Amino acid sequence: MITDETKAELREIAARYPQPRSGLLPMLHLVQSAEGRVTAEGIEACAEILGITAAEVSGVATFYTMYKRRPMGDYHVGVCTNTLCAVMGGDVIFERLKEHLGVGNDETTEDGKITLEHVECNAACDYAPVVMVNWEFMDNQTPESATRLVDDLRAGSEVRSTRGPRICTWREAERVLAGFDDGLADEGPAAGPATLVGLEIARENGWKAPEGGQQ
Amino acid sequence: MTVTPSKAGSNAPAPQDLVTLTIDGIETSVPKGTLVIRAAEQIGVQIPRFCDHPLLAPVGACRQCLVEVAMPGPDGELRTMMGPPGRVKPQASCTLPVAEGMQVKTQLTSPIADKAQQGVMEQLLINHPLDCPVCDKGGECPLQNQAMTNGRGESRFQEVKRTFPKPINISAQVLLDRERCVLCARCTRFSEQVAGDPFIALVERGALQQVGIYEKEPYRSNFSGNVIQICPVGALTSADYRFRARPFDLVSTPSVAEHDSGGAAIRVDHRRGKVVRRLAWNDPEVNEEWITDKDRFAFHYANRPDRLTHPQVRDGETGELRPASWPEAFAVAARGLRAAGRVGVLTGGRLTREDAYGYAKFARVALGTNDIDFRSRPASAEEEQFLASRVAGRGLGVTYTDLERANAVVLLGLEPEEEAGTLFLRLRKAYRAGGTRIFAVAPFTSNGLRKLGATVVKAAPGEEVPAIEQLAHDGELALDGGGVILVGERLATVPGALSAVAVLASQTGARLAWVPRRAGDRGALDAGCLGSVLPGGRPLADAGARVDVGAVWGSTVPTVPGRDTDGILAAAAAGELGGLVVAGVDLDDLADPTAARAAVASAGFVVSLELRASAVTEHADVVFPVAPVAEKPGSFVSWEGRVRPFEKVLEGSNAVPDVRVLAGIADELGTPLGFQTIEAAAAELDEFASWDGERAADPTVAASPAAPAPAGSHRLATWKTMIGDGPMQDGDPAYHASGPTPTVLVSAATLESLGAAVGDQVELSTDTGTAVLAVGVADLADDVVWAPTSSGGVNLGRDLGAGAGSAVRLSLVPAAAPAVQEAM
Ligand code: SF4
Ligand code: FES
Ligand code: FES
Repeated sequence: MITDETKAELREIAARYPQPRSGLLPMLHLVQSAEGRVTAEGIEACAEILGITAAEVSGVATFYTMYKRRPMGDYHVGVCTNTLCAVMGGDVIFERLKEHLGVGNDETTEDGKITLEHVECNAACDYAPVVMVNWEFMDNQTPESATRLVDDLRAGSEVRSTRGPRICTWREAERVLAGFDDGLADEGPAAGPATLVGLEIARENGWKAPEGGQQ
Repeated sequence: MTVTPSKAGSNAPAPQDLVTLTIDGIETSVPKGTLVIRAAEQIGVQIPRFCDHPLLAPVGACRQCLVEVAMPGPDGELRTMMGPPGRVKPQASCTLPVAEGMQVKTQLTSPIADKAQQGVMEQLLINHPLDCPVCDKGGECPLQNQAMTNGRGESRFQEVKRTFPKPINISAQVLLDRERCVLCARCTRFSEQVAGDPFIALVERGALQQVGIYEKEPYRSNFSGNVIQICPVGALTSADYRFRARPFDLVSTPSVAEHDSGGAAIRVDHRRGKVVRRLAWNDPEVNEEWITDKDRFAFHYANRPDRLTHPQVRDGETGELRPASWPEAFAVAARGLRAAGRVGVLTGGRLTREDAYGYAKFARVALGTNDIDFRSRPASAEEEQFLASRVAGRGLGVTYTDLERANAVVLLGLEPEEEAGTLFLRLRKAYRAGGTRIFAVAPFTSNGLRKLGATVVKAAPGEEVPAIEQLAHDGELALDGGGVILVGERLATVPGALSAVAVLASQTGARLAWVPRRAGDRGALDAGCLGSVLPGGRPLADAGARVDVGAVWGSTVPTVPGRDTDGILAAAAAGELGGLVVAGVDLDDLADPTAARAAVASAGFVVSLELRASAVTEHADVVFPVAPVAEKPGSFVSWEGRVRPFEKVLEGSNAVPDVRVLAGIADELGTPLGFQTIEAAAAELDEFASWDGERAADPTVAASPAAPAPAGSHRLATWKTMIGDGPMQDGDPAYHASGPTPTVLVSAATLESLGAAVGDQVELSTDTGTAVLAVGVADLADDVVWAPTSSGGVNLGRDLGAGAGSAVRLSLVPAAAPAVQEAM
């Protein structure tokens, strides 16, 4: 159900932009936060508020993989299986989690807790292999740490990203993606030692970027 | 394949705006901003393409048009546009504007461009089915053609092709075979940019990307058929034409659409004596490359089982119509008309200019009367005077192109999307280009007006006059600075409105055009099918004009002013007229269909010239079959005043045009018409080309304030939707199913007071009758409701005795069973 409150918030998002239509992406995140997925009702609400057709909204909602049409679990667990993570163990982690949870790609466990998905590079290759929980980083994972992670999530114990922030539910996270601050933005660092290794080496050797930028 | 012809004349740019470049070694200069693909066309080089369409914004979606491009650097030396180091990056020529000194090499001179194009083609064909032998597009398919000219002979693809269940209905009329689609986005761009109906979109991603609708919302558009025509593959087909014919078996003839006053150029394809489909023809001055769904799909009417094939006369003994020979029918008709004494002539909107001229002359010369009126709809004496003073015989006035140049266009009594589709598309183009602001005096903001970005000056039916008068002082509209006023035929029923329009035009200097709904109306007016107007706009009241006309006709012109449609019918009912000659009039279109039926039934002697059996032929004493437009040559006159001639499409048909029948009767009456063919009628009509004498004065009818609706009722606003009921729309179920659900629109407050929700059934009633329609909501005044004049089997005039301004009552129809809430 899209409540009047959600509708008001959808309108609030649309009002943030000079062209209301620019608000469609965050609005769809809000729909996911409210509904647990992109529903027909959500699509129609966005269309109505933006004065565009439902076909146009569904064109967007079906294009981006972050919009889900099947009900999601409380936690979205994304295992990076792009090249770097894959060779560092991502493929093994993904296989292990499928087996452990008894689900395939893009499927949700029977208890409705976890939706497993293999995801593309999250620009966290410095901490490969990486697993994302509701788009928070779990760095340097192993098959063992990853199974522990999902067990903790299912048991409801507090889980923290390896970079600090507490893991909230997927629906709470979707609300943040819709642009509603949960006050946790500053928990955890943006870059860690592994991120900065290249910079350190460049400094030691006095390397500089070439003049004039890219040709 | 769409190739834009070069524009000539006033559009030619000033020399300083030209850019010089080389294409395949040929130097050429084109206007700044020209796309490379267009510049190449102009020197005769065709770069293959799918998504490119000159009337749609460039998108660069298909990558088929890749060419090699070099640009002069700051040092003047040419540098080829590169990709990764050492590799040329071919450019999409459909999104790349020309630049000074640019050097383009197409597939003709660059092996790199050729290879790139072949690569793209190979990719496009990976998932494309090899079903050309059973595909409707086969034989006229840009993909098929370009795969031959710019593709590899053999596929290297060994794997299993992606398939979809086929086909799916994106509307009742339009079908989509998704596996054939090359994702060029022509269809989606057309519906968004040109028609403003973005009910189709590209959905899903990757190999599953496809054109789709939102599941609960079909692709509903008055212009949907255009996407079928511009689809460069066979992905979009019509339910009507799918699997009906092969393009190489068809004979194509250019023609002109007969459904509205737009004058749209069409192409009629026929096979074995039958029209099988119609397409838009390219006329940049008029309809560009678009037509309405009515122009495209509504042509089956000519082949209905009730088509008349031979003359009939009413048998004196049985009282039934019986077949008759042509000579007998001519003789019986002439005898009856002579005996009837005074006879009135009613001509409907389907007449060509030449046939209309036949009636105009027949009435005056053979029947000796000015009792003739082409207006088979609610009309007024004020309108007649307005038409005589401002429209008749004026030749080409405001044009489509003028609308794009106008600062402001104001629409009065006109809903272009429904009543003049071709005009709607050009107005939308003008609006989107940003130069033309559109205003409308209307009872509510219709979807059509919204798509034109129109500023709506609200006026309840009957209250338009003060709103029109105000327009002269509307600073935002600023008609004085190059404005155009477009007046629809509906304004005729509002006393004082057309008088106010004439004043507005004079006051502001704005240009004025009258936009009737029907294709034949302007031609009929110019030909003299109106009591006070002789051919070429000559006023009957002017003795000089009568002499002029009499000289061409070799007879005297009757001087007694004629009656109008309602007057003629009333006089026939009262016995003041002894007979009627009726041509293509649907009595349900008239102000009072019931009275009209009674008048025709009681008229002394009725001659009917018709295509199919009708309410008139039922009561006629003599019935003559006449040819539909596809079976005769002729011309229509568009709302612009542009003569739109067309040839006979079905050469084999021996159906006769109206003029031939009229000539036969006139001969029997001893007052020959002087011509028997369309060509001869046209030649004689041309003698009336210009009239430089006095014209009728503008009407000066005072506005009479509309009576408020009695308590408990609402005032009715109404017009016809494009897709609706009418004999000329019969015969294509998919066409009707793709139209709008007949819906009564009410204000939000009225909806609430009815206790109804959008989509519920409501009953619309008067003392005469009732009708049940769905209900919808619009920004109407609380005491006004809108309903379509004639669709879904409901005709407000016939069933409710109601027209614009009538008082109607509304009530909610209790739902029969609880509606099941649909879950996703
Ligand atoms: S259906 Fe036709 S016009 Fe539409 S995107 Fe596909 S190929 Fe292009
Ligand atoms: S490859 Fe996994 S985060 Fe980049
Ligand atoms: S025609 Fe140029 S990208 Fe499609």
